[in-house]
Amino acid sequence: MKEELKKVVTSAKSEINSVVSMHNLMQLKSKYIGKKSILNSFMQKIGSLPKEERPAFGQTLNIAKNQIEQMIADQEEKIKELDYNKTLQSESIDLTMPGRKRAKGSLHPITKVWREIEDIFMSMGFEVAEGPDVEDEYHNFDALNTPQDHPARELSDTFYLDNDVLLRTQTSTVQIRTMENHSLPIKIISPGSCYRNENDASHSPMFHQVEALFVDEGVSFTDLRDMLNIFVKKMFGDKIEFRIRPHYFPFTEPSAEIDIICVKCYGEGCNLCKGSGWLEMGGAGMVDPNVLEKLGIDSEKYTGYAFGLGMDRIAMLKYKIPDMRLLFENDIRFLKQFS
Amino acid sequence: MKISYNWLNKYIDLKFSPDELKDKMTFGGIEVEAIEQLGRDIKQIKIAQVVKTAKHPNADKLTICQVDDGTEIKQVICGAPNCEDGIKVAYAEIGTQIQDFKIKKAKLRGEISFGMLCSEDELGISDDHDGIMILPKDAPIGTDLASYLGIEDTCYDVEITPNRPDLLGIIGVARDLSALLKLPLNLPESKLNESSEPIEDHLSLENKVPELCTRYTARIIKNVKIKESPDWLKKQLISVGLRPINNVVDITNYVMMEFGHPLHAFDYSLINGKKIIVRKAKENEEFPALDEVTYKLKKDDIVIADEKRAIALAGVIGGENSHITSKTKDIVIEAANFLYSSIRKTAGRMKISTDSSYRFERDITDENAELASIRACELILEIAGGELLKGELDSFPSPKDLTIVSIRPSRVKKILSIEIPSKQIVEYLTALGLNFIKESEDNLEFKIPYYRKDLTREIDLIEEVIRLNGYNNVPTFLQSQNIMNKPVFYARRKVEDTLVNYGFSEVINWNFGDPNDLDKFNIKKEDARRNFAKLKNPLGESFSIMRSMLLPSLLKNALFNINHGQKNIRIFELKKVFTRKDEKLATEKLHLSGILSGEFDPAYWKINTQQIDFHDVKGIMEDILVELKVENCEYQKSDEPFYQPGLGAAVMSDRKIIASLGKIDPKIAIKFEIDIPLFAFDVDLEAIFAMNLFHDQIFENIPKFPPVLRDISIVISREHKYVDIIGTIQKAGKNNISKIVLFDEFAGKNIKDGFHSLTFSLVFSSDTKTLTDEYINNILKKVIKALKNSYNAEMR
Repeated sequence: MKEELKKVVTSAKSEINSVVSMHNLMQLKSKYIGKKSILNSFMQKIGSLPKEERPAFGQTLNIAKNQIEQMIADQEEKIKELDYNKTLQSESIDLTMPGRKRAKGSLHPITKVWREIEDIFMSMGFEVAEGPDVEDEYHNFDALNTPQDHPARELSDTFYLDNDVLLRTQTSTVQIRTMENHSLPIKIISPGSCYRNENDASHSPMFHQVEALFVDEGVSFTDLRDMLNIFVKKMFGDKIEFRIRPHYFPFTEPSAEIDIICVKCYGEGCNLCKGSGWLEMGGAGMVDPNVLEKLGIDSEKYTGYAFGLGMDRIAMLKYKIPDMRLLFENDIRFLKQFS
Repeated sequence: MKISYNWLNKYIDLKFSPDELKDKMTFGGIEVEAIEQLGRDIKQIKIAQVVKTAKHPNADKLTICQVDDGTEIKQVICGAPNCEDGIKVAYAEIGTQIQDFKIKKAKLRGEISFGMLCSEDELGISDDHDGIMILPKDAPIGTDLASYLGIEDTCYDVEITPNRPDLLGIIGVARDLSALLKLPLNLPESKLNESSEPIEDHLSLENKVPELCTRYTARIIKNVKIKESPDWLKKQLISVGLRPINNVVDITNYVMMEFGHPLHAFDYSLINGKKIIVRKAKENEEFPALDEVTYKLKKDDIVIADEKRAIALAGVIGGENSHITSKTKDIVIEAANFLYSSIRKTAGRMKISTDSSYRFERDITDENAELASIRACELILEIAGGELLKGELDSFPSPKDLTIVSIRPSRVKKILSIEIPSKQIVEYLTALGLNFIKESEDNLEFKIPYYRKDLTREIDLIEEVIRLNGYNNVPTFLQSQNIMNKPVFYARRKVEDTLVNYGFSEVINWNFGDPNDLDKFNIKKEDARRNFAKLKNPLGESFSIMRSMLLPSLLKNALFNINHGQKNIRIFELKKVFTRKDEKLATEKLHLSGILSGEFDPAYWKINTQQIDFHDVKGIMEDILVELKVENCEYQKSDEPFYQPGLGAAVMSDRKIIASLGKIDPKIAIKFEIDIPLFAFDVDLEAIFAMNLFHDQIFENIPKFPPVLRDISIVISREHKYVDIIGTIQKAGKNNISKIVLFDEFAGKNIKDGFHSLTFSLVFSSDTKTLTDEYINNILKKVIKALKNSYNAEMR
């Protein structure tokens, strides 16, 4: 019987070593050491041996079982490694082939600038206020201290719906509405669409403007310069200087126009700045006491500054867009550049 | 650190209730972390007299007592052996709540008991549980026990910040409160009666480490009687969480709590060579401590030693070999100070935290040692008797002069922005114990008391001024303007971003419009969008109104791009539309419109691309509405005249149309010279914003039990709408189905005309249990039955 057992172990060895699938290996496992296996049948035959031979044979049987178990375990490791290498083979790809993408869209460059401006001002305690595009003459002109005979009121300058209903020419109207409806202090920006009756290469009948207004006790011209400085640096970068020049607006006194160093030549002089080295950015000033008094605000106690900037122009300067018409043509090839 | 209200009240007439004091302390910078009402349980217990006792007929160990609580006689069953006629007892009537235990009427072996007679252990007064508490004969019947015993008190657990070691004792806290609350401070004054025998004849002192032991004082009292402390002392210690031990030890603890300065008492007879040596430990020197652990020391530890051995681990713990026992007669009182960083290191390494190490680690003062020693000796003489030897041993290697710090009222204003007059500043700081020296131009000079080592600079004094003025008495000026509607502001951005992520490019058109566009769009005569906001002086006919719709402009943008060779168009615009009828100005509403055509995904070599269809647009719409928090809406057939019949849907919410979507009718597209399929959507943002749906997301519990997935396939007539079918499934599944996903639809092959096959994946989940197969099968059966009954649907 010992001889027989030896033969079984030998045949098990050759069989086990030659299988390459896990399924077949498991079949061999049950054939040799499972419940109804060959080894088990030897176990049952122990009883037929003389008593004194039984322990020795039992021991031999155990050793055989351990040997076969070890063979199976070794082969299992081999098969696993084989399978792993197969996976590596079958899943290998050309890493240079293109990846799967989703369609990519874009925000309009004006919206991008719009958001950036909102974020800069909101980070400094301003809130964003809104108002109607279709306005009355009072909020667009009268409340802003514009003389009755001011040329801006002409049909040739402003779009009208009725005699005293018009499309706002600036978002200063929102300042008036906010001061009418909220108590001081007020610290807002009002971005939005504005309209003027002109249409040529450098003027669009609809354009986008943002106005800032800060009214409180102790707001000064210094605060205005401070704010403009910070804004220009945050918007265009630390290299960009600004300056202000005396000017006239009906609703501010003192009034000023704002220039920044040319974003293209940094002051050297180029075609963008027409050789001056500076670009005009917008208007600014201290809110005229008349404007405050008309709203019932004590102009002795409260002071404020206001400034307005063209967002379309800022977008053009920031992204070096050469022609204003590109902004409203909505060519997808243009728009997608700003994703 | 624990502080008792009654104890504080000894030094300062508080005039505030315990609750009020809690806030005063917290806002003065001594944060109260917990508050405990001592004696609250005991307050419910009444003093009563046992007027009659009888044996319980059914239980040997129980006694039936008749108890007089001052109002009536009640029967109480008692199991205590010491229950006798006539004794005064602590009686808890029915309804009394002691900790978690509520006294109820009970039947004990057939006899009813109305309440309970309590032991000291049950009441938390002591560990004595041998029998019920017996009160003195003169205890007044009916009085509550807390008042009788005088243990009503409030204990505060306060956080002392590391810069204020002066607050580590109750006197320090009282001093600070007296300044904060503007109340006078009454501190105990100690007088010592010394005998004529000089201490030097009995003990000598050698400080070998003057840089580590910055002060060491010792006094000797002979012939003390070690015994239990008097009641008042025990109560006082218990009120701050300290365990009474014996009179001398209790007094050292009491003085530590008072002055914030730990003391230690040695048994004089156990000091070898009658000499105290302060030295560094030897490496691996063994020290048997009071906590019955023998510690192995390192050479940087400071020990108090006699000629032979260490008798205390300086500042941390006393020695087992020299402490006070009932046999002690002569004692040495140590009051010392050690370098805080050294104590912190030793205590930290050995993981010992004692009331002593807690204080020494926090840089207490050398000067206070002397005061604490005198106070302790006074109390010991008074309570434990004995004679105090003349003088003290004192090693005080480097006493420091008091520092002088100046403060500028102008600087106070600069930091605070409000003005505090010089007079007020002087008042505040002198109340804290600072000594006002002189005033010159914008400058006040103060001598800092030894116990405020933290005040070294002007800014430290300014902090004290602001603290005493009250942090919350400093005004605020800024106001929240609340002008912008933040949820709407950000929702708008989110919607834009969602579309950009879907591959849309944003366009911006002029707001001028052409009235003829509405004709091309088949907009009916009576449609409100024909109430044009018309310009008097337009740039031309095609710019003569303010747009009342965005889609015509978008179609023109699409054409422009198709003409420039673009095949896949995806554009949106988010702008106001305008109408004007009777209103003075115009009605301006924010709309969002978009146009799509071409392929949904960019060309990809692995899969075939698909042309955009209705369901793509619907998916986008659903995403937009999620961003806008529209949760309840229905899709119905749209009445808009510009969608291809059957392929236009209106989105309804709250019975209002909030959006529409669909395929642009090719007949209309062709009017704009476009001959490829175009899909469009239009959202009335103004209407959605008006629904006020924005709210912060509230966290929901994540299900503890894993979900179970089951698929079902049905064949059903095309007449039945998907939305109705899933409604039926949902209803039949009650609350067990958390999600229904349609993952296959087909008709044709093996399916009869007018029918189609739908396959759903149902997600079952529960918050309360793991769902068993049996449970789910049962629900599935109900779902299938409901589908059969409602739609005659067949399972596949």
